Amino acid sequence: MQKYLQKALTNQFTRASIAHFGQSLKPPVRVAITGAAGQIGYSLIFRVASGEMLGPNQPIILHLIDLPFAMTALNGVAMEIQDCAFPLVQGIVATDNQTVGFKDVNYALLVGAKPRGPGMERGDLLKDNGKIFTETGKYINDHASRDIKVVVVGNPCNTNCLILANQIKDIPKENFTAMTRLDHNRAQYQLADKLGVHSSDIRKIAIFGNHSPTMVPYIDQMTAKNHKATVDQQWVTQTFIPSVQQRGAEIIKARKLSSAASAGNAAMNHITTWVNGTPEGDYTSMAIPSDGSYGVPKGLIFSFPVTVKNGKYSIVQGLPISPFYQGLLDKTIKELVDERNAVDHLLK
Amino acid sequence: MEVQQSLTVCVTGAAGQIAYSFIPLLLSGQVFGQVKINLRLLDIPKMETALKGVVMEIEDCAYPLIGDIQTGSNPKELFKNCDLIVFLGGFPRLPGMERKDLLQKNANIFKEQGEALQEVGKEDVKCVVVANPANTNCLILSRYATKIPRQNFTCLTRLDQNRAYAQVALTLNKPLNSLKNIIIWGNHSTTQYPSIEHATVEGQSFVLPDQGQFIERIQKRGAEVLNARGNSSVFSAANAVKDHIKDWYNGREDTLLSLGVLSNGEYGVQSGLCFSYPIRCLGAFKYEIVGNLQLSDFSKQKLKVTEEELIQEQGLAESI
Repeated sequence: MQKYLQKALTNQFTRASIAHFGQSLKPPVRVAITGAAGQIGYSLIFRVASGEMLGPNQPIILHLIDLPFAMTALNGVAMEIQDCAFPLVQGIVATDNQTVGFKDVNYALLVGAKPRGPGMERGDLLKDNGKIFTETGKYINDHASRDIKVVVVGNPCNTNCLILANQIKDIPKENFTAMTRLDHNRAQYQLADKLGVHSSDIRKIAIFGNHSPTMVPYIDQMTAKNHKATVDQQWVTQTFIPSVQQRGAEIIKARKLSSAASAGNAAMNHITTWVNGTPEGDYTSMAIPSDGSYGVPKGLIFSFPVTVKNGKYSIVQGLPISPFYQGLLDKTIKELVDERNAVDHLLK
Repeated sequence: MEVQQSLTVCVTGAAGQIAYSFIPLLLSGQVFGQVKINLRLLDIPKMETALKGVVMEIEDCAYPLIGDIQTGSNPKELFKNCDLIVFLGGFPRLPGMERKDLLQKNANIFKEQGEALQEVGKEDVKCVVVANPANTNCLILSRYATKIPRQNFTCLTRLDQNRAYAQVALTLNKPLNSLKNIIIWGNHSTTQYPSIEHATVEGQSFVLPDQGQFIERIQKRGAEVLNARGNSSVFSAANAVKDHIKDWYNGREDTLLSLGVLSNGEYGVQSGLCFSYPIRCLGAFKYEIVGNLQLSDFSKQKLKVTEEELIQEQGLAESI
């Protein structure tokens, strides 16, 4: 039944779309979202489908992937996408089969991961997710488009990305990234609020390291309205850094639900910036394979300040690292090295 | 980026599910373009903490277009200076509740909000009522906010319209853009009449293999999604709200659209009812009801049924 539904939906939309290729529209791209029946998926899928992520002239075929038990709910999501009458959606594939799910995919947002259960140790979380991302890595290597761009959102996202990328032989390793954009956006707002400006006026900040409590919000070069801006060190250590680190927990406390909308927003931002480039005079944060910059061990998936142009990112080099920041960097490096060691058996 | 203008938009039921999906769309620039949005988020006192969480997430999205944000539970505070109010908040249908109770509980809410509008609202504020029963809630709202022009009161039938377009596209195997003038008439309920009588595909009128099935499917689509998702149609509703406002504000030349508006007696419908009609959106929040379409006997019958339900609803609601 499921296979028929997938095929039927795809074929109807594809046939219907053939007559529609006007001059202003590009050929469709395939966008895969895992954990598609979940909360973040719900916030993300519809905004992607409306054209916000890749622009109003980019038709999309959605590949919605989740676990077998979520297939009924996922088909409900597919129904709702239809009910939005999005002109850019030229097909929907809703599946628990990763071969079908990743076939010819150009963009993948990997939201799905095993959540932390009560009493679960971080080590168990790493191992369980390690299995998931090893599998997914194989499917992506074997079936996805050779130019696929991937962002891992499901936590622990840096190490999940490491494990995934380890399975990749035939696609450039730099195409596999993890998301720290949410931390970046959160930091941007906190700083704007402190300085009394709009968040869009804050530039030249970045997140270094792991998407975890050891993340390093780097604000040494920050500008507000294009002028160098500083904030007092005590506020930074006692208020700002803890705020950004604990924001997720704070939102759960208030909403009784996790920060799905802002996480979905950040995942979308990550891909949009990767495709469209960073604004002149600014940089963004992406967790990418380290090339050794800033003393970060090669191959670790580590968040850096990057500029992006023509679909490729480059680490912003030469930023001054004070002893204060070096201390924080050392901590987050150590944590990622420990995580890598914990999943060593999954890495070749 | 120089953002020249700003608009103040109030969302009621702001801590709820539809608001959670709608707010990112509102702030994405898809509705009003490069216009700053000042948000007024209204919900009941019980939801105050949850509302704080919503605000935190808005902050964490670093939207370029967000202006200032106010939250609260008092419409007399939050409705001030609003250019647009999106009424998502209403009394939900609880298990065992009679339709009469639902109507009356909501009538009380919309009476209070209408009175607040009358007292503090901008003269020209635009209203979109989404909370069900949307049409009757809209009617009540307008009754108590008499200083505001009648045509500023609308209710949402765009979700039904979008669903109808999707089903027709799938059935005919044609792209969405080739379809025009599919209209939802009447009440946003199971008596609504989704009509293809004046619709075209690639400029040609058409028939459906099973019109009865099509009509019923659109009428009952909400339940279909509920059964599959285990939750109501949240995002598609939020998306429809976005479409309704976007087209009402910007205008649409290429097709007629479905909006619930206050009837002046068009098509013999009782004046004053909030009825979904074929609407030509002219831009700058101006529209006209297209009142001269020829209707088949079949269509006229369908209109009578949905009008009758609206008259009944009005009676029940007004007995407060």
